[in-house]
Amino acid sequence: MQAKSILLTGGALLAATSGALASGFQVGLTGAKNVGMGGTGTGLYLDQASQFFNPGAFAFAPTGFQVGGNMAIPRISFRPGDADSGQRTLQNTNVFPFSGFVGFGPKEGKWRLGAGVYTPFGSELHYQQGWEGRYALTDINLRSVFGQVTAAYAITPQFSIGAGVTTLLYGDVDLQRDIPVQAQGSTSPAHAQLTGKADHKVGYNLGVMFKPSEKLSVGLSYRSAVDAHVSGGDIALTGIPASAAGSFTAKSFDVTLPLPDVYSFGIGVRPNDKLTLAFDANLVGWSRYQSLDFTYSGGVLGGNASSSSKRQYQDALAFRVGAQYKVTDGFSLRAGTFYDMACVRDGFVTPETPDADRIGFTAGIGYEFAQRFGIDASFLFEDFMKRSQSQDDLISNGTTDRVAGTYKTTIAVPGVQLYVKF
Amino acid sequence: MTTLSFPKTARPALALLGLGLGVAGCQPKLDAANPSPSANGLDFTSYVAVGNSLTSGYTDGGLYNEGQATSYPAILAQQFAKTGKGPANFVQPAFSSTKKDGSGYIKLQVVNGALAPVVPSAANNYLSEQLAVTGNALPGGPQLEAYSGNQPDNLGVPGISVLSSVSSLTGGLAPYGLINPFYERLLTPAEKPTKDYVTYIGQKSATFFTCWMGNNDVLAYATAGGVVQPTNPFGDLTDTTRFGIGYRAIVGTISKGGTVKGAVANIPNVTSVPYFNTVTVAAVAAAFKAANAASPGVFIQTGTAAAPVVRLATSADLLTLTAQPLVAAGAGSLPSNPVPNQYVLDATEIASVTARTTQLNNIIAKTAQRFKVPVVDANSFLTRLANSGIATNAVNNTATFASGNAFGLDGVHPSPRGYAIIANEWIRVINNYYGSTVPQVDPNLYRGVLLP
Repeated sequence: MQAKSILLTGGALLAATSGALASGFQVGLTGAKNVGMGGTGTGLYLDQASQFFNPGAFAFAPTGFQVGGNMAIPRISFRPGDADSGQRTLQNTNVFPFSGFVGFGPKEGKWRLGAGVYTPFGSELHYQQGWEGRYALTDINLRSVFGQVTAAYAITPQFSIGAGVTTLLYGDVDLQRDIPVQAQGSTSPAHAQLTGKADHKVGYNLGVMFKPSEKLSVGLSYRSAVDAHVSGGDIALTGIPASAAGSFTAKSFDVTLPLPDVYSFGIGVRPNDKLTLAFDANLVGWSRYQSLDFTYSGGVLGGNASSSSKRQYQDALAFRVGAQYKVTDGFSLRAGTFYDMACVRDGFVTPETPDADRIGFTAGIGYEFAQRFGIDASFLFEDFMKRSQSQDDLISNGTTDRVAGTYKTTIAVPGVQLYVKF
Repeated sequence: MTTLSFPKTARPALALLGLGLGVAGCQPKLDAANPSPSANGLDFTSYVAVGNSLTSGYTDGGLYNEGQATSYPAILAQQFAKTGKGPANFVQPAFSSTKKDGSGYIKLQVVNGALAPVVPSAANNYLSEQLAVTGNALPGGPQLEAYSGNQPDNLGVPGISVLSSVSSLTGGLAPYGLINPFYERLLTPAEKPTKDYVTYIGQKSATFFTCWMGNNDVLAYATAGGVVQPTNPFGDLTDTTRFGIGYRAIVGTISKGGTVKGAVANIPNVTSVPYFNTVTVAAVAAAFKAANAASPGVFIQTGTAAAPVVRLATSADLLTLTAQPLVAAGAGSLPSNPVPNQYVLDATEIASVTARTTQLNNIIAKTAQRFKVPVVDANSFLTRLANSGIATNAVNNTATFASGNAFGLDGVHPSPRGYAIIANEWIRVINNYYGSTVPQVDPNLYRGVLLP
């Protein structure tokens, strides 16, 4: 989610809507402590966000309530492949992912019950007016809210298991592009807007944690795949010439976006009371996403009753490192970094998902008082590798429904979180 | 909540956050990696375009100001200028503003509930177009308003062939300035009976040229269904001998014997244009069958005027776009009412057009080599357009009539979008050959076919 999801969303329509989106999903903007530590968390049991990262680890986490918000600030630039119109930019829009979790259980007990709500992202991309790719995408806006209930049990003081049921509580999409049909006397082409709400979908996550000592913890977790589905979304068309109206009669659309499952492995190391080190690796099953297929009802769109656009994503790996240092009992500093590999192949990059290998840097601070209340702040900066594709690449891949050129993206995400321990 | 006071040790972290926020506001810059436009030694300051209707910007069956403005030479001049070595002003022989619609052009209209290309005529008040006709007639069509400016840089003359460019090839018997209204309007009264095209282009001192000639040496024959009017000295397939002499004269003249740099394009396969692929034998046969289940197919007239042959058409025969109203009225449904010869390019005629096109393109290739200029392989390029389409920034442009967007409403000439796509191919070839980095244009900025 995170940064990648934010973009993904863009691209993938609903992709962003799922908690399990991007390879970067483990970072999640869920949990400011985790964000500050490079998005690690599978091998940690810091707080309620464990429900998201590793429900097994949740058994060892303190009980409490936490709520946090972020402001994701994407900056995307595009330069067309051959033409000379120079650099295009987004009409930059910020998005505000949030998360909240609550966890109950006996203070030193073996079990935990919890619940959470999170918006892995909520993506909004508005490309510059008249940009080269306007027949692929002009605007996209995705919002989603996921809910989760979680149970965890420590079988021994060293070993715990946990599971959660996740639900896409709310999701909507607003996708717009121009249509290469123009009316006599008009200076602009026709335009299509597809809007719809996602069906509720249920998934799950599972996790185990092995904690041989206070100095070491190892976690494994799995988050299931979910098919995000919009049924009966609305199609709004403007500027269709009267004589072409017969080719644009569709009233509604259906689309399914397969969201990936995620395998995570994490290690937490505490060499002393003050320092926590964390390492995570994620494998995101993006290869489920082979094509984006729309079916239209009530008629045709552009003369067709359906459309299919190649995606052919590949599974993606991410590696994360993070650290937390307790300066005083109440005050902590955090830092981390990660390397997140692209799931979009060369020649398949779309304006909704200008995906690329990216490196991220994070920092965070935490302040706790009365051993009970606390605030965490985090900051994440992601730098995407420059990604180019030529028209020849698109032709050889059969992906000429997108544009040739070079994308470059950076994302910055400041966030803050408040918590109380029970 | 009490005011938070951070210990000293927190300051670096806070500074980091502040720095991060600063970084966040920066738009990533990509411009530096873009190859900056460079002419690499080419001099475009006097760019001259030699050619026929395709060069003039002719589209939708006419030459008019809007089409001229999007001619491929105009687009090339605009892109050449971005190297800093381009023409300050690329002159085209535009019509005066009150006669901006020139020779008039076809529009798409809804006729009897169906989209149809409508040709301007007295009966439809010339579609309210502001024509530049004088009322006089020339052998090649209605006379047009004379062009009064300096000799243009775009020397494209609709209808001109290699054969009609050099008067000695026809023994000086067919002075082209008295025949073709698009050429006549460019000449002074004294020049009209005497000055042939090769002389006319020799008046220019080009620093860079493009030349796309030869299309009408096969196209006139093809679009007339292989029927040569005895009164038209330029209606047959041009023979290779005279084509070679004429073509070498043209390229030799504009290149000053190979000392001026430039590029030439060869002759497309004319049978790939929508003009020959929109009214198909199969579709007409199906329509006849629907009206009369016993219909055996489409009857066409072939052979010569002296010995006409009427037979059933096969999928190897092509019907012209202009045959549409005739077959709609029943032509071809009976042996007694075949589709007339001039609306049919039969398999034999196709073979001779294709063979001659190949021969002429070999001459073009050799001539280009001799004068040291690259060849834009328009033949392959337009075949690719017809077979698989050419996508430009997520829009697929094809040779399908009207909806394909690459061709205008006459079915032969590109639309402004099509001309922009062709301009990019010229740029690609020029850049490859000369090592320049002339930027391409976004073809989607140019219109395809506008719908009512």
